[in-house]
Amino acid sequence: MTDLTAICALGATEPRRETFGALTLAERPDTALLSVALRRGAAQPAPLGLALPGPGAWAVGEGLAAFWTGPGQWMVEVPGKADTDVVATFLPNLPGCSLTEQTDGWTLFEFSAKSGATVGRLLERLVNLDTASLAPGRATRTAVEHMGVFVIRRAEAELAVWGTRSAAESLWHALSTTARRMETSGWAQQ
Amino acid sequence: MLIPHPLLGLRDAQEFTYLGDAALIDRPDPAAGEDAFCDYVFLRDNPAGVHRELWYHEQGDRSWLVVTRNTLTHEILGAELARDVALARREGRA
Repeated sequence: MTDLTAICALGATEPRRETFGALTLAERPDTALLSVALRRGAAQPAPLGLALPGPGAWAVGEGLAAFWTGPGQWMVEVPGKADTDVVATFLPNLPGCSLTEQTDGWTLFEFSAKSGATVGRLLERLVNLDTASLAPGRATRTAVEHMGVFVIRRAEAELAVWGTRSAAESLWHALSTTARRMETSGWAQQ
Repeated sequence: MLIPHPLLGLRDAQEFTYLGDAALIDRPDPAAGEDAFCDYVFLRDNPAGVHRELWYHEQGDRSWLVVTRNTLTHEILGAELARDVALARREGRA
């Protein structure tokens, strides 16, 4: 059998990580992603006790998290399980749903800062949304430099961006350029 | 222009793509004949004023909305999920 070398979306064997003042941008290749669509007439399940969130929200449970993507549709994130068959793992926990593995189509970049204000300023520069609507626990699909992304505010000072893997380098460029400019102009000190 | 998405709140119009007259939801019965389909496919009203139209939240949750807009002022008078509109219409007919 052919020996395959697993590489990250940005082309290296190790995930990329860059720091801009108090702001850190990191590639997270280990999180698995799963799309869940509720079938007609089925009751909404609660995988591993996690109540699936409503419109615009993100919810975190034991070993998994989920965000709303449309009526009766969610994405489930499973940290540390990118190299496993998450559909097979979660099929028994999500009765009445159609599951599709999304891990390899997407790439996850995460910002962390020392203060929520820095993440707020980052959002003002990245997305065309009311930044107050992206409070902690909120997630939405929107566009960053014309690329469709999911933006999740995991905590006051933590922001995650899921982008298409084929545009990983372009997305990293958009995110890191914004962060670098913030650092240069003194907006990334906390 | 901001569109008041019924589930997600105010979202910028650049996240949406525009299809046109919301009358497209009302497809004629397959037995209605060629004239009815000719009207459905090719003919549109072009009102100066209040217009109900279909918008697709492409860079968002991918829902279809029925947006009521004044074509003279661009004022948005309301938005509802096209799914709800279609279901209400079907129930009304049944």
